[in-house]
Amino acid sequence: MIDMGEVSLLLIIPLVTAVLCWKINIHIGEKLQITTALLNVFVSLLIANNVFFHAPITGWHHLIYIDALSAFNVMLIVLIGFVASLYSVGYMHHEVAEKIIDANKVRHYYLWFHLFLGTMLAVSVVNNLGFLWVGIELTTLVSALLVAFYRKGTSLEAAWKYLIMGSVGIAFALLGIIFLYLSGVDLFGESADSLNWTVLHQAAKQLNPQWTLIAFVFVLVGFGTKAGLAPMHFWLPDAHSQAPSPVSAVLSGVLLNTALYGVFRIYTIVNTTLDGKAASYLIFFGLLSIAITVPFMLVQHDLKRMLAYSSVEHMGIITLGVGIGGALGLYGAVLHMFHHSMAKSLLFFAAGNITQNYHSKRMERISGILKTMPITGSIFLIAAFAITGTPPFNIFVSEFTIMRAGFQSGHLVATVLFLLFVVLIFSGMMYYVVRMAFGEAPAKVEKKEMSRWSTAALFLPLVAVILFGLYVPPFFQEIIQQVAVVLQGGKS
Amino acid sequence: MEQWIAMLLLISAIWLLQIRKISDSVPILAFQSFVLALTAGAMWYQTKLSHLLIAALLTLVVKAMIIPAILHYTIKKIDVHRQVERVTSKYTSLLMAIILSVAGFYVTSRLHLPSTKFGEPYLPVSITLVFLGTFIMIDHKKALMQGIGLITIENGLFLVAQSISYGMPMMVELGIFFDMLVTVVIIGILSLRIHSTFESLNIEKMSNLKG
Repeated sequence: MIDMGEVSLLLIIPLVTAVLCWKINIHIGEKLQITTALLNVFVSLLIANNVFFHAPITGWHHLIYIDALSAFNVMLIVLIGFVASLYSVGYMHHEVAEKIIDANKVRHYYLWFHLFLGTMLAVSVVNNLGFLWVGIELTTLVSALLVAFYRKGTSLEAAWKYLIMGSVGIAFALLGIIFLYLSGVDLFGESADSLNWTVLHQAAKQLNPQWTLIAFVFVLVGFGTKAGLAPMHFWLPDAHSQAPSPVSAVLSGVLLNTALYGVFRIYTIVNTTLDGKAASYLIFFGLLSIAITVPFMLVQHDLKRMLAYSSVEHMGIITLGVGIGGALGLYGAVLHMFHHSMAKSLLFFAAGNITQNYHSKRMERISGILKTMPITGSIFLIAAFAITGTPPFNIFVSEFTIMRAGFQSGHLVATVLFLLFVVLIFSGMMYYVVRMAFGEAPAKVEKKEMSRWSTAALFLPLVAVILFGLYVPPFFQEIIQQVAVVLQGGKS
Repeated sequence: MEQWIAMLLLISAIWLLQIRKISDSVPILAFQSFVLALTAGAMWYQTKLSHLLIAALLTLVVKAMIIPAILHYTIKKIDVHRQVERVTSKYTSLLMAIILSVAGFYVTSRLHLPSTKFGEPYLPVSITLVFLGTFIMIDHKKALMQGIGLITIENGLFLVAQSISYGMPMMVELGIFFDMLVTVVIIGILSLRIHSTFESLNIEKMSNLKG
């Protein structure tokens, strides 16, 4: 068994790292933050091991509750967080060498970056929905500063849009949570525990159905804004394209998942109360998000914006998968969460190397990546094939699972549309990717990899992208299954 | 009595749509938060629930003093005499505000929201505050004013929670206050940076990112 020591460590490590990086010499700080990020991977492995193979962790007067879904999200955050902190070192060296940012500012970068990871971890482990809300709002505030990091006009514009849209969206989510509190307040009285999702979940059948439905709609719109679901996604391409690349990877790879985590926590309660009627909302918003990506993907000029729109698509696919539901649909959706995090962060890391070498994010100025940067280029090509759902890579497996679930459960129209959109997005994205990867490079672009750090960081997600496409190990299947059971509303 | 307090809140929100200088918004916002503290204080007086007193005092200190102080500092650094710019004219915005207020009262009467005995008179106004706050954000073109709209929305939500269940659990309420404070600090930081980069706070200047 595990006590709360590990959980405290999990939350304290990012905080301490953030403050240390801010205060101490940056040359020590940047090495230190990699070490502590790795340390947190081990801590969360201990926690995950306990949750998946023994029992959920609870403590601090029920303030903390970690079940399979929480542990899954924690694992993703620390893994992507670790790779991103490794990648940041080389990335920031280059930005300083190019005089894009002041050497002194790098300390601020690491401060906000690790605080950002810390807030996401806090969101994943709290039991009280009020604190979950507070945590998600904090992720917006901290990451808005990271989006504004370059202090250029465009990055300030993106950060402002993100801050305002995120905060308004989340204000609606708060209204939703107030209504949910209301739907249970007759049952439990006015105590702090009545906002604990474990309590609400157990009493889901007795909650007031009218209130839970209104609560769910507000929460879906509110946290959905944060997760980049259409039509509330307008901040997302701006923020993701303007942020430093390692931040984009974390935003896309795990922040969106964390926002969806908030939606799904409440969905599992509400769907039990409403006997499955909430699912159609998820199918609608999921499909809309996939559909809206199609035209934007076809007319894109900016590499990082294209990747950002692809994130809108994939959040839609996950939401659709959960909406389709059933054991298979949920399994596919959870698998897709993992696979998307890996493939998309890999793409953003590779795109970061490419934009630094080509000094541009505009896709018409990028060509011949395979010649100038053989390692980054081939990994970029693989990741792009993976993200568009090409076999034999990982995303294909999860998308195929969701499609199978869709046909089996009789959501014919939705599944056929999904298939059609995915094919269109594949062709749109591949058109640009192939043009960038092959051909002759512009004369002034140097033949080089960016740095050891930023090349090394590519390999961890790459292993997941390739390996899990070919073979899913049994222990991993077991983990995904357990998370799917939680989403179904069962006890984990 | 409660009706009068509720009306003061409504007036403060509509007033925010009628100001000429950005700096005028700060005292109005402070006044709005002061009235909000008063409602919580009144509910405490009637129910003797101790957490309502804490909520009232926190509202007074955080929302009616610290937050306006931060906003005041930001505006002073930019330029106190900046005029506001709006999408609609003064009269159209007043008309919209009235329509939204009527809509707020109507929606509340139709929703059959359960409410507490002493909180009930504030319920329609609380929903209306959320509507008006949203409209302030849409109508004003100055970046900082969107922040003011956001705080108005938050004030509305605080009052919703107060009137339907005498507020959220204390710990959560504290977390929300903390968030609010950090939000305002970051709104201030970003406004200053936007001002120094664009030499303006007009959000229409910020439209380089498209598609």
